Amino acid sequence: MSFTDRVDPELVPALDLFPAEMITAIGDDPPAARAMLEGLMQAMLEALPPTEVSIEERVIPGPDGDIPIAIYQPPAPAPRPGLLMIHGGGYIVGTAREDMNGIGYAEHVGCTVVSVDYRMAPEFTYKASVADCFAGLNWMVDNAAELGIDASRVAIGGGSAGGGLSASLALYNRDHQGPDVAFQLLVYPMLDDTHETPSGYEVTHPNVWNRDVSLKAWKMYLGDEYGRDKVSPYAAAARATDLSGLPPAFVTVGTEDLFRDEDINYAQRLMAAGVPTQLEVHPGMFHGGEGFVPQAAVSQRMRMGYLNALKRALG
Amino acid sequence: MSFYDKLDPEIAHAIHFMPAERYIAVGDDPPKARAMTIAQNLEMRASLPPTDVTIEERMIPGPAGELPLVIYQPPGPAPRGGLLWMHGGGYIVGVARDDARCIEIAEYVGSTVLSVDYRLAPEATYTDSIADCFAALTWLVDNTAALGVDPGRIAIGGGSAGGGLTAGLALYNRDQQGPELAYQLLIYPMIDDKHDTPSGREDTCPTIWNRDVSFKAWRMYLGEDYGSDNVSPYAAAARATDLTGLPPALMIVGAQDLFRDENIDYAQRLMAAGIPTDLLVYAGMFHGVELAVPDATPSKRMREGYLSGLKRAIG
Repeated sequence: MSFTDRVDPELVPALDLFPAEMITAIGDDPPAARAMLEGLMQAMLEALPPTEVSIEERVIPGPDGDIPIAIYQPPAPAPRPGLLMIHGGGYIVGTAREDMNGIGYAEHVGCTVVSVDYRMAPEFTYKASVADCFAGLNWMVDNAAELGIDASRVAIGGGSAGGGLSASLALYNRDHQGPDVAFQLLVYPMLDDTHETPSGYEVTHPNVWNRDVSLKAWKMYLGDEYGRDKVSPYAAAARATDLSGLPPAFVTVGTEDLFRDEDINYAQRLMAAGVPTQLEVHPGMFHGGEGFVPQAAVSQRMRMGYLNALKRALG
Repeated sequence: MSFYDKLDPEIAHAIHFMPAERYIAVGDDPPKARAMTIAQNLEMRASLPPTDVTIEERMIPGPAGELPLVIYQPPGPAPRGGLLWMHGGGYIVGVARDDARCIEIAEYVGSTVLSVDYRLAPEATYTDSIADCFAALTWLVDNTAALGVDPGRIAIGGGSAGGGLTAGLALYNRDQQGPELAYQLLIYPMIDDKHDTPSGREDTCPTIWNRDVSFKAWRMYLGEDYGSDNVSPYAAAARATDLTGLPPALMIVGAQDLFRDENIDYAQRLMAAGIPTDLLVYAGMFHGVELAVPDATPSKRMREGYLSGLKRAIG
């Protein structure tokens, strides 16, 4: 059975629209990939419907200079819940202006979303990325009053590399006695630098996030640690041996996602560690497919799944 | 962290009113457990609100004499989807008049539900139980016109032991070249006679389905195969080595269920075999609680999870 046969029929046309060159470039030529993504994101931004969510770009102090952030404010009255949103892009590409998601969370949950432009590989490694996200979280909590946020209802979350960083930030924040985090929203998170699972070998199609590009991205993100027995759980949360004491979690992934098994396994381990965890796996969905074909039934189910989970958690 | 602390606060109190004696009796005194189950079933039926679903009890020819069935018919035009339902009860107890579940399915999905009174252990073993379920499936397919069922929309499903029988029947039906099935609905199915998983070893409590009673039930159901390497996959589907060619599946389980990990593992193996599979795992829910506390928000959400899946498949 081919990969295309396994993908939900409503999503199959999107496989051809998806730029294989960009995915390949993420592994082989990050600057070119970033330039291509900028064009794609611009087109997506222009296609978004009008919104009452206001979007402000600003900079905050970071561990090594200023960090750009984007703030999404819904028209809901303060105090609102807050989400530190961490964008995707394989730890190599992407920007804080992940508007489709930032607006989506702000509108559906009525929360303030702070999206952080963390430093990326290959110029930097995971230490810089996690440090920037941790700085963003602390800034958000320290400035809760100004932002109109209820500091007891702050979640962290994101998709793909942003989900991986969310999982790692949850670990880092626990170990460094950071602020209380009410929830971790892990949307097809990139957790495991080995991909030594059945799904880690299944997904090789060049038009979706695949094994080849993923291992190249990990190599850039981990630097010297790549390929070693000991990789920091702050880079690859699947490497963590102790998952106790983490915030309640929601994990969602598609069955045709490279990360399927690593994500399910991580959810299982969270459950075994006594962390309240919900898991939703959707048939025929490939990595990020719900963003590319938002009108497909399975996309809407997946998206409502994580939007509702966040809404329940932050109330 | 105690078992109680891991439960969803909205349903946690239920562990105090669940009858511990009944589960103990399932393992130690099946006739007594059956009498208790029948009494509880009558009480449940008396408490149900009025319904437009008609309920008919009848006999069909089975592999060893007559086989009792219950047919639930919703109002509305034929042809409808059809579900063969297998009740739970650890393969030891339970009755086909699983009204709370079957009426809700018939109403929500708009399908005909056929519930089969398969033979139970210890008087019978899995070969009899599966033969009865297969006979009921064959009868359903042979009588679609009279029942008003669309032969292209036939599913099988069940909870707990009924989910285990569903998974076993899906395998048996594939191997016997039986009728085409549109869906297998696996509600916390009892599929693994070893429970050699983290959730299979987690501390639970005597008022819910637990490791001790589960092993006693498996011993009765498997007969002389118990504890051997020769356990049939028709009895314990987790033993199956080939999961290809099975119907699309929905797997649903609570995070505080003894069967959590065996269920997640089976869903992962279905996905790896290319079977379209939904997997939904709910935080803080224990075995059967979504019916024991039916009006709690997380219980409704869990039932909505499998009802909407079944509706998409055969509704």
